[in-house]
Amino acid sequence: MPKVRFKPYDNEADTFQIAGLTIENRLDRISLFGSLDITLDREGLKSAKELQLLVDAVLAELERRELPEKITILPTETVANPFA
Amino acid sequence: MGFTSGQIFWVKNKNQIFSVISSVSPCLSGSKAVFRMTLLTRILLLSLLLAPSVVTAEESSCPEHFAGGQAPSITNLKLSPQTRDVCYSGYAFKHSGLTRTPLYSAEHLTSARLLQAKGMRRHSTFFPDPNIPAAGRAELSHYAHSGYDRGHVAPSADMPDQQSQQECFSLANMVPQVPEINRGVWEKVEKSVRKMAKERGDIYVVSGPLFMGNNIQLMGGAVMVPTHTFKAIYDPGRGESGAYLVDNVPGAQPTFISIAELEKLAGMNLFPSVAKTSKSVAMNAQGMKAGKPRTYAGRRGYANAKSTL
Repeated sequence: MPKVRFKPYDNEADTFQIAGLTIENRLDRISLFGSLDITLDREGLKSAKELQLLVDAVLAELERRELPEKITILPTETVANPFA
Repeated sequence: MGFTSGQIFWVKNKNQIFSVISSVSPCLSGSKAVFRMTLLTRILLLSLLLAPSVVTAEESSCPEHFAGGQAPSITNLKLSPQTRDVCYSGYAFKHSGLTRTPLYSAEHLTSARLLQAKGMRRHSTFFPDPNIPAAGRAELSHYAHSGYDRGHVAPSADMPDQQSQQECFSLANMVPQVPEINRGVWEKVEKSVRKMAKERGDIYVVSGPLFMGNNIQLMGGAVMVPTHTFKAIYDPGRGESGAYLVDNVPGAQPTFISIAELEKLAGMNLFPSVAKTSKSVAMNAQGMKAGKPRTYAGRRGYANAKSTL
């Protein structure tokens, strides 16, 4: 299995898990959802390290970029329901 | 930037195994051919049209995903244009080029399959589906900057191996979902269906979006945002069925309704092989009382979050 770099905010495709936590790469956000127990054992240590790697990478990218006060969400349009 | 770790990696698009049947929208030139038909053919055709829906149910090239081997059939003909059926190893779906979403995704869940799925670590990539013509499919860019989650219709936690896992990240298995719903009540619905499958041993599930009301929101200039999502369940062992229905609105709570009720809303016969008597009564689902669909809008009186239910 080839190793793939996780580049925060680079694409809309990458996703992986740290135990029960799902991480999704988006162009305007990194989404984290689910839940994660960092247990006091080897598994917990592994999860904590993965989480640290993720947060470090996200932080580095945030600090590298010029940031707006708030992201812009593109509005939806209202269209006729083709099924109605 | 970014990070490389021995522990965090995933497989980039593995070769996907699939088969595709295109349900081509009827073209006008076909009408000439009809005139040349013999009287016998016409009678045969007429008898087919008049036959009960069970007979006209579509044949699938992957019957293993469907109860009684029969894929859902469309009853609201407005759903029919630009549809395409795709079979993957862990699920099958019917895609609409009008909404650029699935109309449904179907799975056969067994306790053995879910036991296998449990240990799976998910390292995948979302991808535009090569089985759908580019003009009618969702692209990654349509979801970008939208604020919507890419909500799985057939969930990834149901997928037992790396191949089915990656296949379920097809954008043709996604709908734009309010994040709070995708990560909240919808996730709970998915979990309770898995629990049901483990307890009952063997169930068929058909999930999908509903597009209700006169107007629909269009995301990224291309993908239609469903007003609801549903999960229909059939237990072949007990002949019981029922369906979860959730508004795609923050704060919505799931309701549990009969398949008969859901089929009216969806414009599809979701389980063509199942008897009407089974569909008319919603089975007892854990923590769910069968009843009239409740909506957040109804409870809070939100005027602009109206539901047509």
